[in-house]
Amino acid sequence: MMVPVRCFTCGKVVGEYWEEFKARSETKEGDEDPDKVLDELGVERQCCRRMLVSHKDLVDIVSPYQ
Amino acid sequence: MTEDFDVEFIERGDRKSRFLVRGVTPAFANGIRRAIVADVPTLSIDSVRFIENSSVMFDEQIGLRLGLVPLSTPLGEFEEGDSVTLSLDVSGPGTAYSGDLVSSDEMVQPADDNVPIIDLKDDQRLELEADAVLSTGKDHAKHQGGVAVGYRHLQRVEVVGDRDEYDDAEETNIIRGVIADDGELVPTESFDHDLTNRYPGKEVEVHDVDGAFVFHVETDGSLSIDEIVTEAAESIGARADELEQAVQL
Repeated sequence: MMVPVRCFTCGKVVGEYWEEFKARSETKEGDEDPDKVLDELGVERQCCRRMLVSHKDLVDIVSPYQ
Repeated sequence: MTEDFDVEFIERGDRKSRFLVRGVTPAFANGIRRAIVADVPTLSIDSVRFIENSSVMFDEQIGLRLGLVPLSTPLGEFEEGDSVTLSLDVSGPGTAYSGDLVSSDEMVQPADDNVPIIDLKDDQRLELEADAVLSTGKDHAKHQGGVAVGYRHLQRVEVVGDRDEYDDAEETNIIRGVIADDGELVPTESFDHDLTNRYPGKEVEVHDVDGAFVFHVETDGSLSIDEIVTEAAESIGARADELEQAVQL
């Protein structure tokens, strides 16, 4: 629903990078290569990268049914 | 075992460092690693009192997210089990961030301000009071100050001769960590982790250097690297003293 606060595997705080990643990555709303965006944000390990790459915000989808 | 350890930094940052320690046994190196992960206490939100929560998430889900937000932990100010109260009051439309947490103690603040807690729509509101408790990683992973803490042997690369002329030119020789070359410490990133880039056409042998370990330590921001490593070393010392006392009786 919301982006996880920490990486499930290593415990690095990844939530703080989500909004910038979402705005810049071409797989989300931006036009940059997600690989390079993650490198620039300092999200280096595969375990942390998958947290952002595979995430989908669901709050907008769920909220009408509250 | 009374020799001093020799420590040399390879990379030094606020939240991420690599350093070489000489003169330790593998058991002691692992002891330090485990102490960094499990024995250095940090503050983390442990109980939450909800005054209003009309968001799309349940109270428990928001409680979990708040617990995972790292809080800066001043050393020596708190005993294990002490608590600090924080509050949060955000009305939609908008997002509640970790930075919106208001602490009752100036020294205790969220280490990262941009962690989204919950997205609030029109007419939704989140108001709560939370108690942060000082505890160790043994108790709950949210109290772990160290993230991805590990160590590798320092490695020595020895050139033993020229590579055979008809060897497969595609061959790579991948190595990760830090190598020692004539007393100089070289992180493997500098040659893309491939020894054939650094020693083209040479045949090399790689050996571990006895008693030399390269630590990789990251923190979640609750403590600095220096604080977390020295605290970990002190906790080992304290337990060794305790054991000595217990055995003497």
